[in-house]
Amino acid sequence: MTFRGKRPFPRHAVLLLFAVLLHLKVFAQTGDIKGLIRTEKGEPLPGATVILTRNASSFSKVTRTDSIGLFRFSKVPADTGYVIKASYIGYTTHVSERYSVKANDQLSVAFKMQENNGQLSDVVVIGYGSRSRSEMVGAVTTVKKEDFNVGVYSDPVQLLQGKVAGLNISRSGNPNENAAVILRGPSSFRSGTDAYEPFYVIDGVPGASIYSVAPGDIESMEVLKDAVSTSIYGSRAANGVIIITTRKVRSGQSHLSYSTYGAVERISNTIKMADANQLRSYLAANNVTIDAINNDGVSNTNWQKEVTRTGFSHNHNLAYSGSNQNSSYGVSVNYLNNEGIIKGSSMNRFVIRTNLQHRAFNDRLKLDMNVTNSITNGKQIPSQVLSNMLTYMPTVPVKNADGSYYEDRSRTTGTGGYYNPVALINDNTIQSKANILLVNGIATVNILKGLDFTTSVSYQRQRNDTDLYYNSASMLAQDYTGYAQRTNVSNTKKVLESFATYERRFNKHNIKLLGGYSWQEDRNGDGYQVSGYNFVSDDLKWNNLGQGNGTTVNYGNNYVSTLRLISFYGRAFYDYDGRFLFQGSLRRDGSSAFGRNNRWGYFPSVSVGWNLQNERFMKNVNFVNVLKVRAGYGVVGNSTGFNAYTSRLIYGSGSSYFYYNGAWINSLTPIQNDNPDLRWERTATTNVGVDFVLFNNKLSGSVDVYDKRTTDLIGDYTVSTTQYPYSTMTANVGAMSNKGIELALSTTPVKTGKFSWTSSVTLAHNVNKITSISNDLFSAPQFYTAAFSARGQSGISGYQIIKEGMPLGSFYTLKYAGKNADGKSTFVAADGTISTDSTAFTNFRVTGSAQPKLIYGWNNTFRYGQFDLNIFVRGVYGNQILNATRADMNAPIYANTTNVPVSTLSESIKDDKDHFISSRYVESGSYLRLDNATLGYSFANKKNYQLRVYASGNNLFIITKYKGIDPEINVSGQTPGIDNRSYYPKTRTFLLGLNVTF
Amino acid sequence: MKALLYIAISATVMMAAAGCTKLDVPVESQLTTIPNTQEGYVAATGSVYQKMSSQSFAVDFWRVIELSTDEAMIPNRNGSYYDNGSYIKLHKHTWTTSDLDAPWNWGYSGISECNRVLNLLSKSDSSALRTQFTAEIRTMRALFYFYMMDLYGNVPITTYGSTASPTQSTRAVVFKYIESELLAAVPGLGAPATVTLQYYGRPTLWMAYALLQKLYLNAEYYTGTARYTDAITYGNKLMSESGLSLEKNYMSLFSPTNTANNETIFVAVFDANKATGNYFSRYTLHGTLRAKYGLNFSPSNAMCTSPEFFDLFSLTGDARDTTWLSGLQYDFAGNKIMNGSYQLNLTRAITLTDAATMNVGPEVNGVSCGARSIKFYPDPNAVNRYQNNDIPVLRLADVYLMQAEALLRSGGSTATAVALFNKVRARVNAPTVTTLTLQDILDERGRELAWEGWRRNDLIRFGKWEGAWGFKTGGESTSRRLFPIPATELVLNANLVQNDGY
Repeated sequence: MTFRGKRPFPRHAVLLLFAVLLHLKVFAQTGDIKGLIRTEKGEPLPGATVILTRNASSFSKVTRTDSIGLFRFSKVPADTGYVIKASYIGYTTHVSERYSVKANDQLSVAFKMQENNGQLSDVVVIGYGSRSRSEMVGAVTTVKKEDFNVGVYSDPVQLLQGKVAGLNISRSGNPNENAAVILRGPSSFRSGTDAYEPFYVIDGVPGASIYSVAPGDIESMEVLKDAVSTSIYGSRAANGVIIITTRKVRSGQSHLSYSTYGAVERISNTIKMADANQLRSYLAANNVTIDAINNDGVSNTNWQKEVTRTGFSHNHNLAYSGSNQNSSYGVSVNYLNNEGIIKGSSMNRFVIRTNLQHRAFNDRLKLDMNVTNSITNGKQIPSQVLSNMLTYMPTVPVKNADGSYYEDRSRTTGTGGYYNPVALINDNTIQSKANILLVNGIATVNILKGLDFTTSVSYQRQRNDTDLYYNSASMLAQDYTGYAQRTNVSNTKKVLESFATYERRFNKHNIKLLGGYSWQEDRNGDGYQVSGYNFVSDDLKWNNLGQGNGTTVNYGNNYVSTLRLISFYGRAFYDYDGRFLFQGSLRRDGSSAFGRNNRWGYFPSVSVGWNLQNERFMKNVNFVNVLKVRAGYGVVGNSTGFNAYTSRLIYGSGSSYFYYNGAWINSLTPIQNDNPDLRWERTATTNVGVDFVLFNNKLSGSVDVYDKRTTDLIGDYTVSTTQYPYSTMTANVGAMSNKGIELALSTTPVKTGKFSWTSSVTLAHNVNKITSISNDLFSAPQFYTAAFSARGQSGISGYQIIKEGMPLGSFYTLKYAGKNADGKSTFVAADGTISTDSTAFTNFRVTGSAQPKLIYGWNNTFRYGQFDLNIFVRGVYGNQILNATRADMNAPIYANTTNVPVSTLSESIKDDKDHFISSRYVESGSYLRLDNATLGYSFANKKNYQLRVYASGNNLFIITKYKGIDPEINVSGQTPGIDNRSYYPKTRTFLLGLNVTF
Repeated sequence: MKALLYIAISATVMMAAAGCTKLDVPVESQLTTIPNTQEGYVAATGSVYQKMSSQSFAVDFWRVIELSTDEAMIPNRNGSYYDNGSYIKLHKHTWTTSDLDAPWNWGYSGISECNRVLNLLSKSDSSALRTQFTAEIRTMRALFYFYMMDLYGNVPITTYGSTASPTQSTRAVVFKYIESELLAAVPGLGAPATVTLQYYGRPTLWMAYALLQKLYLNAEYYTGTARYTDAITYGNKLMSESGLSLEKNYMSLFSPTNTANNETIFVAVFDANKATGNYFSRYTLHGTLRAKYGLNFSPSNAMCTSPEFFDLFSLTGDARDTTWLSGLQYDFAGNKIMNGSYQLNLTRAITLTDAATMNVGPEVNGVSCGARSIKFYPDPNAVNRYQNNDIPVLRLADVYLMQAEALLRSGGSTATAVALFNKVRARVNAPTVTTLTLQDILDERGRELAWEGWRRNDLIRFGKWEGAWGFKTGGESTSRRLFPIPATELVLNANLVQNDGY
């Protein structure tokens, strides 16, 4: 290759050179400005942004204060009329005017910045940006680090439990279980909990895994509740959006902190089961014999005691950061070890986060790089432990004389299985490992005054490995001598977000504009499962599958699925004089998951706000500091928890083969119909709210009223196979509504000298109703859900019903009518008659709802000098729980084969339907829990460090009528509120912690 | 700052140019079409045969057609298997319109699969394989229609791709349709001397003949017009054209290792791993019999037979008597099998402690009610309680007995009838006969074909459906000869009209 003539000079180089020259332009007459910024208390304020402008010219310079609060502008043209503006998050912006700079002189300035008090002046993180409280027009709750719940938490969302009105969270004591979260009631009736989960955005990365974040690294969480706030996230935002902001480095600061806690956890409640002597005498008194295999005559085993333990947990978080003029870095390392209260269950998680920021071109280009890696190791127990620890016979020993575990092998497997729970823990090893890597690079360019352009590229890779080994004695693999299984699956996510923002304030007008593009691809399920069985030895577990003598491999059901989402979005905000606020936004979302005809959709929102405190007529109303009224309407979609290929015709082999020409071969058959019209579930929300700060910031709060209407609900409809290849069709048919009111109040009733008391309350009331489940094409009179098996009660289509006019989670059971003269349970038949025999499904009716009428939290903080005491109470009122665990246990006719609670001993042994699931077991789920009490002591500010120590107790007491272990039963999913023999008991925790910052 | 502006703009343009508005993503691990290859079409026919090799057939469908007869019953065993009276309703013929969805769903999903596969085959390139597959699937569809017509009477005949809700045809029309379909399939079907492994589990010419024979034998009941001569014609064609013969060892026909043989014509093939659904041991045997049969699971103790039916097995030397367990139980070494502290006693009689719920109460003194069948012999290689025994649907012994019955009913050769009857008797060392009544044939069909799924059809044809057995008092309306169209189907398809009496 040869060049002809001159090689053209690269255009970029010309531009760059030009840009550099611009800045090298030397002024003849210059001077310097240096300054010091301090807080009200006189402490230096590092990291504050300082802008130097001159009113009469376009001159503008930006810098930041260093670690001791100093800033400096050098070579400032000698002139008059300079303005210095300093700003910092959490502080009121400071403006000083009319500075003059003289040639070859140095001007020194110093000022203090005031902390923002009332909540309305805080900065709130919203989708693709942030706002000051006074500019907010939607329903957003911000919870800051200092208000997070204290406890042994692996799931960050637990930090919010009870703190946000309308956000309902439940979690058992299982260290490997994620919390169930639901915001403002369900807006779907699909199966699977994903369809009900809020959408998470972590440091601007939409859809990032919240398990990649250590709770200790989180600075604040914003819960976006109404469509005005969430519609910028379009088709994924119907369940609300939770934005997590992690600890960031700030220029000019260096920081080293270490925090740790150690905790002791115990089972918070047990069920009073009959002991062996009680059971033997009950059976003897009723002339019922126990087979020798179920009664050795001497043993008295308390199985709940045998499988539980005191769990020790500890967490360490080390974070440090530093910066120079153009770059800053931050690193944090977090290790959590959480031992479960049931033997054999535990989890540990190691999270490392680094973030780097580089600033160039006078801070007009900012480059951020965040890398997070989270490794979670879990040890699980078979779920049957949780039922057998209650109902296994107390009349037999844990182990036989020869040291082997006691088992009754003549029992059938089947409903739950009757297995020695201690053996279950020790003969079965289930281990999981999740490795999440999240890399996020962000470039922000300030192009013109007020105009910024941001591009963010993220990559998340999650690898899940599950290894399982049922040893040769395991009751879970009685067909085999040892069964091993390994599953390795990777999920990757690529996100590109590119958006421009323009912010301009002139005269009384304040404009903020946003326009952007987003591209995302999730590729999930890339992996495989393999298995082996009949091993010579149990020693190798899953580590050498080839040594198994079994011939059939269980490949499981792993499918690669790729989901692509493409969006364009825009938002315009305008406020006039800080009084009238207007906002409109529009997102156009495309998703590959939906039918060919409906892949693209628009998600608009409009809202208005009025800051009354800024009106002239309010000037003399002194007790009002802030009073804002806001109203908005918007439309969002729900496409989470959705198989990427739901709308397509898929042929599968299933797990069955057919016999052809003397051999078993795979068949191909449709396993899913094509629905080119399938689209997202659409939720339109109207929200009206009032925010207020009164009595000189003593009382603040907000009230929100909403009406959330979801249409196009997706359900699986039975269709005739004379018309379609497959017997059910996934289609948009139903409609549902959620209406509610939320109240948040915060007050400081006492603040005298050393003592202060701050109290805050959240209250939320929601009414959920399914308004339709049929249309012209697809119809169903109802869907029966929660069809689990119960002893002697097959032929039941479900214990919950989805029906028009009913809330989701309506219990559908027999109606209990008390006991008859013979001590037998009677039930009300469909025709109203009462008898012992009317137990068929046709006699079922709605007997309760899992939807709470009220959820609440009440937080109190007392400070006295360096002591602080926090007491947090939360609860739920007005919901029911189907206590199928109690129903199953309360079976006197089976008392010679499975244990019964002490309460059953007073019931007739002839009552063969005592355990039939009926309204008797639909129990009140209301509770009030003293969730946390924390006493802390902060050592007086030493010169070089700050130190706080604290002691904390979780779940100290609970007031409830619920007869199960704990009423905090899963609130989310298609079938909420069912306690069915698999509840991992809630824990009571005592914790000692220490935070130190250098 | 223009540099930054240009960089930002060019970055934006590049991204927009990358075009990224495309939403078509690949489906990487599932098929969205059937491959247009021979292997593809072989695989596509599989779903039809899976309907037979399934739990829907071997448990759900089987229970409906057998628990409603004297051959099998599930009493309420002290609360277990009460299951809201569903087995009691089958036993006492007191089912309602919501109790009999399973057979309908099984049959019509089979018909739909056939329709879909036939449509697919019609679009493939013409070949010998296509001709054969088309004939086989049409025969399978005829079998599903036969079951549906037999159970529900007037049923819809459906076609592929129709968006309209189908309407019912009268039983006579469905009869005619099945007949014409089988006759149309005949030229395309394979005709091996016996059903070899190549055809095992799939239709052959002999299956079409045997099904035609059964259709014509029942014609008088189905349509009011007797067709016994046609039944005899097709019985004769089968016997003369095929090389089928009775297997010497009766029990081998049903054993866990049963496979292609000289007698079996059509079979539902099962495998403990690959085609699961055969649960006979699980639901029949008592838990304490686990060790005797080397099972790796404890059976659930549900099904037994009625005392009346058990009494049929009283012929001298009949090998078929060994298909039942009754009385005090011993292992193969002669040791007592203990049930608690007493010896397991499977009594012929079924004694209730509560008549209303048909409850036999707790097991006292080792007694567990009802004789148990081990015809589908317990399989020590069962996996997850699934056993490997294939379940015959049509076999030569049935053809012989049908032929004898058709001869008897049509006044044909009694000598031939007796000879065919005696072939069945001789194979199991049971006494042969010199004369024959229809009752003899019904009883022999009970002994020979017990639990093979034909008792309901037989009892109705012989007019004994309204009889008394077990705790069924009998004398109910003859409208119970048809099952009700499932209530859920009536909701889905407004064209359907419920059968009389429901």
